[in-house]
Amino acid sequence: MQDLQAIVERALADLAAAPDAAALENAKARYLGRSGELTALLKRLGTLPAAERRAAGEALNAAKARLEEALARRRAELAESKMQAQLAAEALDVTLPGRGASRGGIHPVIRTWQRVEAIFRSIGFDVADGPEVETDWYNFTALNNPENHPARSMQDTFYVDLKDAQGLALLLRTHTSPMQVRYARLWVERHRGAKRMPPIKVIAPGRTYRVDSDATHSPMFHQVEGLWIDEDVSFADLKAVYTDFVRRFFETDAIEVRFRPSYFPFTEPSAEIDLQFAAGPLKGRWLEVSGAGQVHPQVVRNFGLDPERWIGFAFGSGLERLTMLRYGIDDLRLFFDGDLRFLRQFA
Amino acid sequence: MIVPEHWLREFVAFRLPVAQLAHRLTMAGLEVESCAQVAPPLARVVVGEIVATERHPNAERLSVCTVDAGRRRLRVVCGAPNARPGVKAPLALAGATLGETEVRATEVRGVQSEGMLLSARELGVGEDHAGLLELPADARPGTAIGEALALDEHLLAFKLTPNRGDCLSILGIAREVAALTGAKLRAPRIRPVPPAGRAKHPFAIANAEGCGRFTGRVIRNVNAAAPTPEWMRRRLERAGLRSISALVDVTNYVMLELGRPLHVYDLAKLRGTVEVRWGRRGERLVLLNGAEVEVDETVLCIADDSGPIGLAGIMGGDSTKAETTTRDIFLESAFFFPEAIAGRARRYGLASDAAHRFERGVDFANSVAGIERATRLVLEICGGEPGPTVDLVKRLPARRPVRMRIARARKVIGMPIAEREMARAFRRLGLVARRRGDAFVVTPPSWRFDLAIEEDLIEEVARLHGFENIPLHPPRAAATMSEAPEGRRTLHAVRERLAARDYQEVINFAFVEPDWERDFAGEDNPIRLLNPIASQASVLRTTLFGSLIANVRYNHARKLARVRVFEIGRVFLRDASAPDGPLAVAGLRQPVRVAAAAFGPALEEQWASATRPVDFFDVKGDLEALYAPRVPRFEAAPHPALHPGRSARVLAEGSAVGWIGELHPRWQMKYELPQPVVLFEVDAESLLDAPLPRPEHPSRFPPIVRDLAVVVDQAVAAQALLDAAMEVRAPIVRELRLFDVYQGPNLPPGKKSLAFRIVMQHTDRSLTDAEADAAQQALLQQWERRLGARLRA
Repeated sequence: MQDLQAIVERALADLAAAPDAAALENAKARYLGRSGELTALLKRLGTLPAAERRAAGEALNAAKARLEEALARRRAELAESKMQAQLAAEALDVTLPGRGASRGGIHPVIRTWQRVEAIFRSIGFDVADGPEVETDWYNFTALNNPENHPARSMQDTFYVDLKDAQGLALLLRTHTSPMQVRYARLWVERHRGAKRMPPIKVIAPGRTYRVDSDATHSPMFHQVEGLWIDEDVSFADLKAVYTDFVRRFFETDAIEVRFRPSYFPFTEPSAEIDLQFAAGPLKGRWLEVSGAGQVHPQVVRNFGLDPERWIGFAFGSGLERLTMLRYGIDDLRLFFDGDLRFLRQFA
Repeated sequence: MIVPEHWLREFVAFRLPVAQLAHRLTMAGLEVESCAQVAPPLARVVVGEIVATERHPNAERLSVCTVDAGRRRLRVVCGAPNARPGVKAPLALAGATLGETEVRATEVRGVQSEGMLLSARELGVGEDHAGLLELPADARPGTAIGEALALDEHLLAFKLTPNRGDCLSILGIAREVAALTGAKLRAPRIRPVPPAGRAKHPFAIANAEGCGRFTGRVIRNVNAAAPTPEWMRRRLERAGLRSISALVDVTNYVMLELGRPLHVYDLAKLRGTVEVRWGRRGERLVLLNGAEVEVDETVLCIADDSGPIGLAGIMGGDSTKAETTTRDIFLESAFFFPEAIAGRARRYGLASDAAHRFERGVDFANSVAGIERATRLVLEICGGEPGPTVDLVKRLPARRPVRMRIARARKVIGMPIAEREMARAFRRLGLVARRRGDAFVVTPPSWRFDLAIEEDLIEEVARLHGFENIPLHPPRAAATMSEAPEGRRTLHAVRERLAARDYQEVINFAFVEPDWERDFAGEDNPIRLLNPIASQASVLRTTLFGSLIANVRYNHARKLARVRVFEIGRVFLRDASAPDGPLAVAGLRQPVRVAAAAFGPALEEQWASATRPVDFFDVKGDLEALYAPRVPRFEAAPHPALHPGRSARVLAEGSAVGWIGELHPRWQMKYELPQPVVLFEVDAESLLDAPLPRPEHPSRFPPIVRDLAVVVDQAVAAQALLDAAMEVRAPIVRELRLFDVYQGPNLPPGKKSLAFRIVMQHTDRSLTDAEADAAQQALLQQWERRLGARLRA
């Protein structure tokens, strides 16, 4: 049995020294193969006297198990080092840029538009859109701003070479307020015959136009109109809703909102809304952001409603203005130049 | 309107610091745009009186003045033509700072000068630099100049809303100040000036709906050349008006003071009765500003026997104007109804202080007061003998009592304002208010033209209460959930998809160059603006292409090699048959379009992909992704903007919804672009329907996949094969995908090969090869029969 001891030690050494899978299989064949040394000993087992056979058998089987275990271990080691070599060979410079397309972006004013929509939708406002070439009636008269009224000169109007049924020139809407009337009339029509008309709650963002062009005025710009009509919507409600909006929009409560009496033909009482930041580069300055007020009874009548029963507020805010304040942009013209170097920053 | 502080203080004794007053006024709806002192404080500039002058020994045009500076006398070298004994002028002492320069005692051509006598411009209070600024005779030498000229007074510049015509005067602002602060109003007591003669001039009102009241007075023997006194000139100038002549200055002064426009005629130039009447078509007149206008029946005129001599309430005529040689004058103080004046000045391109006021409403009760006030001032300055004041009243605006229900006011404002406070608000505003049941009844005064309905009074109550004192009241609303239609995509979702495909959104003006319309839409008759800001922005676009090409050019000019932009906006299409609708205007259609342009490399230049220019199919892929899961169709068709062989009409659900293609090489050259631009434009509406998914169970059985390559004429469109296949497609054919297109030497000329991968699968059993063969064969036969295809060997 000294033989066995020697064979095992040699075999273990050979297995451990096998540099690759082929050498390992050769070593295995040398000891455990059909004509391997250990196999030969096992074959001879039957020739031993019965008294020795049992002990010898046990020793041989233990030796075989040791070799098989060593073989498996060495196989795993070799597989692992092969894998390691492959991985090392396949390593990439992971800091090289990714392949493929870059991403475009959404215009900053539209980004504001989307945020305004999201904020007002969160309290159940609908969103509406309508024509930009408007009739005199919707843009002015329906909003209690009759022809020749001095208030008309507040907004210089673009007219086009088309006329309405009354022979008045069509125009580019000077504000989004015509959508108050269009939406409310649709609403009233839709709920005609209902036991109780649900409240009108809508915002109408969109393009608007005025004959004005300098560093702070663009002949085309965006407004968002808001309208809430119910049986008891008051000026105090307007103050709360708009103040809340401003704070959500700028994501800070460190902002003062003030309502200052003003005049618009289609609201009464009317207010200009100013805001003031408590921090940042604009700190301490009052900045106009909106015109607002309780909808004028004549306008409510033009909605097709009885102003004795239905009251509420409307507001109109400039989306460029909100965008400029939000992102610290100081030149309105950047919005309309189409300069990708500017716009891409909003990707 | 600009209100000088001292003038205002004459009318109302307020105690607040001016800056605080300005804030109060702003917060009450009279926006003060600026509130600043006339001039910054000036140290070491005093009133100096020239007591003697002598010629400068070494300079002909200079004199050496002895100047009384109060406590001492100085020697000052001066070159002003009006440097003569007795003149009082601002004197800068050594150490004074004027603008950037410091005044020092210095030698002027050999003579020591201890200070500097100043012109208005040098002092920084005006533009005049012709000579020394002469100070009033009663100015005391040595007095600080700020005090002597009231340079420390504040000027309040108001930006008034059009409803508050009553505030276009010192008196009007003073009324508001009194109402807001409780300070006492010291309205001027205007005593009539008794006539000194019987001179009158006949006048008449022909159209009382235009002119309700006319007050006139003759003053004889005035010295129209008399200079306007310094105090009046200063007030006018500080209020923003130029001094013109004593008579005109007086009328302007009364207008600023009382809000009462007046007109002064040269009596000798009037021909017969002065009459207020509507114009007659064809009548013409030359106005004070030299402009000649033609009037018609909608324009109210002042006329005499010679025809119109003025546009009522807007501007007087040239033919009857008072000049410095005028001896006898006729003063007019009239009430014109706002509706009779409104819009007319604008129509003529005129802007006058009178029209500005009459359009908004002028106090109809103060026409006599205005005449009396003006008479007194004319007599003081120009002398003369006034005739009697003649007042003709035909029709005055109705002042119907307005009822304001207390409960309604509280409901609209949203807070329980006390009745007592409401009553006080009315009282302070000078409104006569009586309690009638649960309401106040207010009769508006003659100067207010904005109090006609209940809301007008509610606004006054809210304004006096202070908007800042109205609480925030979070509204109560039924918690109804909003609709969330899944079958409609929003335009914002479309934007998101375009941005994800590497397009940057832009916003362009709706008005464009007429050339763009011609080139990119073949449109010779787009809707025109009647008053464009510029000819390059004079027509409304019918396509977004022109604007996008401009965006590409702008960025290319700034060295960007790759430009990918999109825009979502309306276009404006003439359509005489388009009717009015709840969201439509008759005579045109204004659909929203989605358009994009791609220029330069398909991908941003990068290490891992070869750079190649963007092509039709890149952009087509983007457009298809925009429609997914719906599949639009494309058919070859020409478009004015596009390369005729690389242009397609886009169809969604069978209707034409837009275009895609490569910019026509002609326009590429004209617009100086070095590479092609690929463009698409589709109706936004066609992108918004998004069908609900209708999912099926995936088959548990293996698919059979076959590739089939066919050879067809090059003219046969790939779409034709797909369409033909659809007609015979067996239900087991799950997918038919074109995966290769080949044209080249291995094929006969004029032919191309298209290879399709066919995926076949049955939902509830395994397919046999025979079934797959049959389906494939059916396809091939259909293509052979319909399109002359043959199997590629």
